[in-house]
Amino acid sequence: MARLGALRRHGFEVPDGFAVTVAAFQQFIDASGLGSRIESEMAAIEDPNDTVPIERASASIRQLIEQSPFEASLSNALVSAYEELCFRHGQIDLAVAVRSSATGEDSAGASYAGQYESYLGIMGADNVLDAVRKAWSSLFAERALSYRLRRKQHHRETPMGVGVLRLLHARCAGVGFSAHPVTGKRDRIVIEGTWGLGEALVQGLVEPDHIEIDKSDGRIIDYRVGDKKLVSAFDPAHGKVAERNTPERFRRAPCLTDDMIDALWRTVRDVEGRYGYPVDLEWVIENPWQAAGRVAVVQVRPITAIDHVQAESAAPRWNALDYATKYGMGLGGARRS
Amino acid sequence: MVTFEEILKDKGYPGFDPSKHIDARWAADKLSLFRPEDAERFWFMGFQWPRACPLNFVWLEDGFAWGTQFAANNMPLPPSNGLAPRVAGIHVYGSDIPVSAWEMQTRGARVGKTLPTFLQDFPAVWNDRRDEIMAGLRHFETCELNGKSPAELWQIMHDARAFHVRAWEIHFELMYPLTANYLGFYGLCKELGLPAADIPKYLQGYETQPMRSDREMWKLANEARSSEAGRLIAANEPQQIYDALQASSSAAGWLKRFDVFLQEYGHRCGTVVDVSSPPWIEDPSACLGIIKSLLQSEDPYAFEKSLAAAVEERETKIDQARSKLTKQEQEAFDQALKSCQHANFAWWNDDHNWYIDMRCTLPIRRIALAIGGALGFNDPQDIVFLFYSEIRDLANGRTSLKSLTPLIRDRKDYYAHWGARRQEMPNVLGKVPETITDPVVIEIFGITDEFLELMRTGKKSATRLTGVAASPGKARGPARVLRSPDELHRIQKGDILVCEGTTPTWTPAFTKIAGCVCDLGGTLTHASVVSREYRVPCIVGTGLATRSIRDGDEVTVDGDQGVVTVHRAA
Repeated sequence: MARLGALRRHGFEVPDGFAVTVAAFQQFIDASGLGSRIESEMAAIEDPNDTVPIERASASIRQLIEQSPFEASLSNALVSAYEELCFRHGQIDLAVAVRSSATGEDSAGASYAGQYESYLGIMGADNVLDAVRKAWSSLFAERALSYRLRRKQHHRETPMGVGVLRLLHARCAGVGFSAHPVTGKRDRIVIEGTWGLGEALVQGLVEPDHIEIDKSDGRIIDYRVGDKKLVSAFDPAHGKVAERNTPERFRRAPCLTDDMIDALWRTVRDVEGRYGYPVDLEWVIENPWQAAGRVAVVQVRPITAIDHVQAESAAPRWNALDYATKYGMGLGGARRS
Repeated sequence: MVTFEEILKDKGYPGFDPSKHIDARWAADKLSLFRPEDAERFWFMGFQWPRACPLNFVWLEDGFAWGTQFAANNMPLPPSNGLAPRVAGIHVYGSDIPVSAWEMQTRGARVGKTLPTFLQDFPAVWNDRRDEIMAGLRHFETCELNGKSPAELWQIMHDARAFHVRAWEIHFELMYPLTANYLGFYGLCKELGLPAADIPKYLQGYETQPMRSDREMWKLANEARSSEAGRLIAANEPQQIYDALQASSSAAGWLKRFDVFLQEYGHRCGTVVDVSSPPWIEDPSACLGIIKSLLQSEDPYAFEKSLAAAVEERETKIDQARSKLTKQEQEAFDQALKSCQHANFAWWNDDHNWYIDMRCTLPIRRIALAIGGALGFNDPQDIVFLFYSEIRDLANGRTSLKSLTPLIRDRKDYYAHWGARRQEMPNVLGKVPETITDPVVIEIFGITDEFLELMRTGKKSATRLTGVAASPGKARGPARVLRSPDELHRIQKGDILVCEGTTPTWTPAFTKIAGCVCDLGGTLTHASVVSREYRVPCIVGTGLATRSIRDGDEVTVDGDQGVVTVHRAA
């Protein structure tokens, strides 16, 4: 969440909100005396590949966190921060997105992308407090737990921060990579997008539009329209974001226009430029969209897997001899199919 | 099917003596009949290669053995020592000659020095070589043979043989590096994620000599339309057309233009590298048969249109490809494309055929027939049933024609016997490997991993065949299964041509057919290149099409997927 704050200070479009710090999480654990109980639940797991005990530990730790009361000082601070945010926007019970962000997720060594949970469309102080505890508890979600176990990491090494951001009225949303997430090619930006909020996309529930852009000049080199069967939409009556079927007219229609793609290209390129290494980010385009409008960044983290493919990620350079040798003389072992 | 054991038992042509009749140079593996130890190697039948009458052994030695082996050593071609030729009856098989790992490495280092220069200089090199070949051809096509004694004719034959050897050295000296460069380009395009079917299209649409010849034939056909010449062509069988035109005074103007055409374009074999078939200049009926078929086309501009469409498609596909690439990738693609258009294998592969494969063996035929005439053969054509060294001895008075006459008769029987067994000859012999490394064997003969797999497993379906998708599009029509280009006149508009493979002789058929299916071949095989130029869906390397599809079957050719479907048996 510190990253988002920094981006906002550097002039990027980041939704208004506040951060619940790692220290606040630590204070919550210490005050509720959960530390030792978490340790004993964890001790019950002997084999990091054995799913049943992990499942059991995850369920009981999450329940412990979600049902432990806040210390008054902490809940007061959270409620007043939320009310201040509501007041700034002149909206009682302002709908927010509560986004978890483990510091491990932000560290360069490992990407925890998508392992922790976010809660969108939360309205009212009590619901925000519940959502913050749920976001904290997602540090012990099964996937996160077994991922850490395999990497022999302690949860203290990856403490949890939470961001509470104004919920944007999303026209479309998605993720952006400043390098190809699979091939590692650095000469392009890859965008995936869908209608509405990005939750269905991030959770892999929807086949998004896939766009590749030449990083150097913003030229669209590929736009593959996805069949976006589901859409994540805010339901103000119930104070939540939920998935529903996408209306037929929207499903196979491209969700991004050329000038939106142009804005996305600039944003992703500039965020990478700010950090100096490849990033992936979550973005939202608000409704109504205005020409030459801006793209909001709601999450950002380094692409870490790219180290492994760096060797092949350079754009090819033509050399007749090298290629003839590789493909035409049975020397490269690379036969064409 | 004829078995390897049966082939081993055969001792070749009556009177065949390898120690006397195979005497030319070779570098790594000499022409021979199959030997028992050949069972351990992999042999494939080349559809391009002529039926081996005794005089055609000249090409097997000069082109097949010496040409490939010389060029592979000289270039050098790292993974192969060229091709080894074997004869089974009158059918020709080849095998790539392996090199050791060490040799491959040192050759790799050597070719690193020669290839870039070659590619840079290619247009000038080909110009020089073509001039050299044309000078030789003009000499042997026009030199006076009448009134010369057999011994004098033999002196000319000796020169023609030297020219023949040189032409085949040139052939493979160019073909190997061009193929390797093309495959490098192909590899780059695959790395860039470009559709494989589009890659050959980036290089298509450049005019070749065979296309110029086709254009002239179209011109002649159009000039004959609604004239007396056209009426006579339509009314007569190909063999009678020339005489009918000569007998008519109102067709004289057209016939004169036709004779001029023959002088320029008529020096071409009925097939390729075959001394047993007359060139058009000697017997124009095949050419007139083609003009007759062109007259049946309703669209007189079909030729120009298809060429223009090929050019337009090339430019569209290049634009499409570039639009999918980042700037950095475009740079690599542009450089590679420029290099491949500069040293364009797809173009040269068609162009060179006209100068070398279709023409360079003709002087040997011309001189041999003259020797036959001078020696008083009843039918001078019979001389192709003598081996080169037999003709030498005959021309120089060391043997008598009388002693050879019964042998010629027996050899004609032998030729007919094995010719009739073509359909029983296996496509491959010996041990079928999983992969082949010689680029020419893969691309020109279509001995791909998939083809090898098909040959190993023998899997085939009666109604569905798969192969290399060589030219896109779909077509449905009646199958016309042709065994040789002699049957080309059977082709009707809208037919699906099914054959072992095509050579430039077949090219005119592509203006009529709706689709093409070949037993053998790869993406750069003649049929593949011509199908793309003429926008005909084409599948090559099906392995068994001529054996599983019958004449008249209703078939669909899916040139995008490489699938042939038989809907209804004839």
